[in-house]
Amino acid sequence: MSKESPNKKAEGPEYIRIKFDAPRPYNWSTGKYLGKVYAEAKENKKLVSNRCPQCKEIWLPPTPVCPKCKVDMGWDWVELPQTGTVYQYTYLVYPLWDPHFGEKWANPYPSATILLDNGVFYRHWIEETDKEKLRVGMRVQAVWKEDYDERGQGVQDILYFRTIEA
Amino acid sequence: MPNRVAIVGIGQTYHTGSRDDVSQPEMVAEAVRAALADAQLSIKDIEGVFSGNMETFEGIYLPDHGMAAEVGAFGKPGFKVNTGGTTGASVVTEGFYMVSSGLYDLALVIGFEKQDCGDTTAAISAAAVPTWAKGAATGAIGEFAKQALAYLETSGAKEEHAAMVRLKADRNACRNPYAHLKLGLKNIDEVLQSPYLVWPLRLMDFCPQSCGACALVLASEKRAKNIHKKPVWIADVEVVHQEPFRAGVFGDPTGKETYTQHVACERLYKRNGITNPRKDIDMAEIYEPSNWEELNLYEHLHFCDKNEGWKLIEKGITEIEGEFPVNPSGGVIATNPIGATPIIRVAEAALQIRGDAGEHQIAKDIKTAMATALGGPNWTVLFLLKRSL
Repeated sequence: MSKESPNKKAEGPEYIRIKFDAPRPYNWSTGKYLGKVYAEAKENKKLVSNRCPQCKEIWLPPTPVCPKCKVDMGWDWVELPQTGTVYQYTYLVYPLWDPHFGEKWANPYPSATILLDNGVFYRHWIEETDKEKLRVGMRVQAVWKEDYDERGQGVQDILYFRTIEA
Repeated sequence: MPNRVAIVGIGQTYHTGSRDDVSQPEMVAEAVRAALADAQLSIKDIEGVFSGNMETFEGIYLPDHGMAAEVGAFGKPGFKVNTGGTTGASVVTEGFYMVSSGLYDLALVIGFEKQDCGDTTAAISAAAVPTWAKGAATGAIGEFAKQALAYLETSGAKEEHAAMVRLKADRNACRNPYAHLKLGLKNIDEVLQSPYLVWPLRLMDFCPQSCGACALVLASEKRAKNIHKKPVWIADVEVVHQEPFRAGVFGDPTGKETYTQHVACERLYKRNGITNPRKDIDMAEIYEPSNWEELNLYEHLHFCDKNEGWKLIEKGITEIEGEFPVNPSGGVIATNPIGATPIIRVAEAALQIRGDAGEHQIAKDIKTAMATALGGPNWTVLFLLKRSL
């Protein structure tokens, strides 16, 4: 071992920045309750969720325990309406970076909070991309992927919500 | 009856977009040293160290690792929390619980974030739960954009009102030596001409990604008076949780789901005999990631009636010279080191009560102040601070 570093001594400290961009694969489980949503979407093109036996509130996504009553929800499934009213919306002007897949990502469709016709809030995107035609209060309806083999992605089996006449 | 708790030491770093000169632990240590110096205490006096930050924002799962020495936590009890946007407030709450319970006389609470390491929006939105709602996630900014839009379309407010809030924030930030963005804006047109990020939010309508840290020393009543000649009392704390995807949206005005700000305010105001917040409280440091959110929060925190928020800024009521100053520090829209952001609200409110805010000190005497925080899971934390109990 040499007593001195062979490298020339630095004048001052050098600050180092480290970049890391290796892809990392993940696996996520839907679980029993969300699994039911996935199954109904794939098999029947239905949007479902469960209802509290006590307060009768429908929670979306489904839950094993009622957040309000703190009781077991049981297995009381309800089919949700596929029509609703746009409650809030926005659209991305600047794309996001997706750390799950290491790529830039911008959903071309506006993202909306939709008040379904039974009063349940649901987040999805809407087909209309013309800024001039987007309105809070516009009436929309779910449009599903028609190909059975393409479904199986849970709520993403709904392509988007399409504008319908009021 | 819980024991009384006072803030006896306040310290923060300066805030900026990039801190290449320090590692995260070194940066956090700056705030810790400042808080201890303010309290004229040694780290040896501190019994428990509690910190908070957002895992994954720096791209690592334990951002506090390798920090025990730098913040003086080595060999002491304490832990780190992450509650989303409210993290910095949860840390103060944690310290409050510990001292108030009588377990410790002196606790150090720390919030920090070094956003030059990674991509915050990527962590928030693109790393949203993929089995639910990932596709509809647009990041924190998307959520605030949706609220801004609903506010714009339903309250009677115009874009100009949001721009006035931005201008107020910038004027205040320019007077605050610790603030990050000091744009020197001259008029609202400069705000209205900035490009859109997520419609209808413009670049200037949203907070920056800041690096920084803030620390407080909390003391029990028996120790507080001997430590600092101007202790600031944490008169009350309220924490309310909710789950947004399952329970409506931020500030759901349908009233179908009581939103957390509403519930938290109701409880805090009732317990403290506050009937008119703008009269009973002297100022507020609120958590407003966007200027539109500030208008929303005026209403949600009951500083005014519904759809009247924009009138407060129009009348200059919330300006630093106004009747009820809000965010004299420049607020979150000027400075957002996320894990530190809510603790800065508490720190700035406490500085106003002490009269130590310097150039951005409110001229009128501040005896009672409110500090608020909100976060991704739609959680609300409120603090009521007082000069004397």
